[in-house]
Amino acid sequence: MRAKIISIAFSMLIICIFLSACSENEVKYQRYYADGSQIYQVHCQNCHMKDGSGLANVIPPLTDSTFLRENRKDLACYIVYGLADTIVVNGITYQTPMPAEKHLAAIDIAKVLTYITNSFGNKQGIYDVKEVEKNINNCK
Amino acid sequence: MKINILIAISSLFLTIVSCKQNAAKLPILGNREVAANGKDTIYQSIPDFNLLNQDSVYINNDSLKDKIYVADFFFTSCPSICPIMKKQLLRIHDKYKDNNQVAILSHTIDPKHDSVPVLKKYADKLGVSSKKWHFLYGARDVIYNMARNGYMNYADRDSLAPGGISHSGYFILVDKNRHIRGAYDGTDEKQVSQLMDDMDILLAEYK
Ligand code: HEC
Repeated sequence: MRAKIISIAFSMLIICIFLSACSENEVKYQRYYADGSQIYQVHCQNCHMKDGSGLANVIPPLTDSTFLRENRKDLACYIVYGLADTIVVNGITYQTPMPAEKHLAAIDIAKVLTYITNSFGNKQGIYDVKEVEKNINNCK
Repeated sequence: MKINILIAISSLFLTIVSCKQNAAKLPILGNREVAANGKDTIYQSIPDFNLLNQDSVYINNDSLKDKIYVADFFFTSCPSICPIMKKQLLRIHDKYKDNNQVAILSHTIDPKHDSVPVLKKYADKLGVSSKKWHFLYGARDVIYNMARNGYMNYADRDSLAPGGISHSGYFILVDKNRHIRGAYDGTDEKQVSQLMDDMDILLAEYK
């Protein structure tokens, strides 16, 4: 009987720890996402639009989850160095240059990338600042 | 001169306010004078112009005489409000695609970069043709003068603004008699919806 109570209490403790760790990550994600939304409004929305739909064949939409996943490592580089390649998004070819945005800190890039990769139909989880820092060092 | 500007600004303000009420007829904006006979009113009208479009065809008041149109000022490489304005103009374009009484005039304020072929490419990327939507090219001074004196719009060189040139985001609605019938913030979806409602009211005058 006593052993049983102890083991129940123990497993509840484990669950509590697990839940709180979980919600801590959740809180971090929510913070990234909320801040990212603000940064998006100021730095990206004029071109990519409020709903991420872009502008016809001039500016690509941010709705192509496959593109975002396949190029995840380069997304931070697009922001820091701009992008002038010919790219295909949702089956449409784009070749308008995107200007570099040099004023954003790594943490803000992480937040805005968390926002875009989890909005407009995307669901790709947090884009951590460490991931941004690592990727920026490897820009082509 | 100062008073003219004051009248222009206050009438601009008035339309924006009065647009909210569902006016049966749109007011005529801009300066006005009493004619020599002392009775008729002469309203400000869009001055004569002759500008190339993206297909190297000259567009002027004469080629627009059976159309109402929406005019704006932009440049293709503009990183700030232009993409939003073009997105909103696309809404207008799509709504009136099959109505040949409606045209759109986008004047580039950066003729150095936006040559006719550049404008053509931009129009193609937007997926629109000169049947409805003209991208107009003209010398800087001509365009700036039209913006300031013709459309009571504002376009000026400002190297500090993003893209190097600052400009107002206004859409100007012009009737078949070259009179200005409304001015709307082209970056505001709600005002552009209002503009389209007003275009319907204006078109009804010609039924
Ligand atoms: C001045 C307009 C402009 C601004 C501002 C801008 N972009 Fe872009 N963006 C573009 C264009 C144009 C392309 C296509 C580039 C090409 O064709 O090489 C692009 C491409 C992209 C792409 C890759 C293609 C896609 O659609 O998935 C991403 C991701 C992106 N931008 C994110 C952002 C983010 C995040 C911001 C804000 C920090 C931003 N952009 C700000 C114009 C802009």
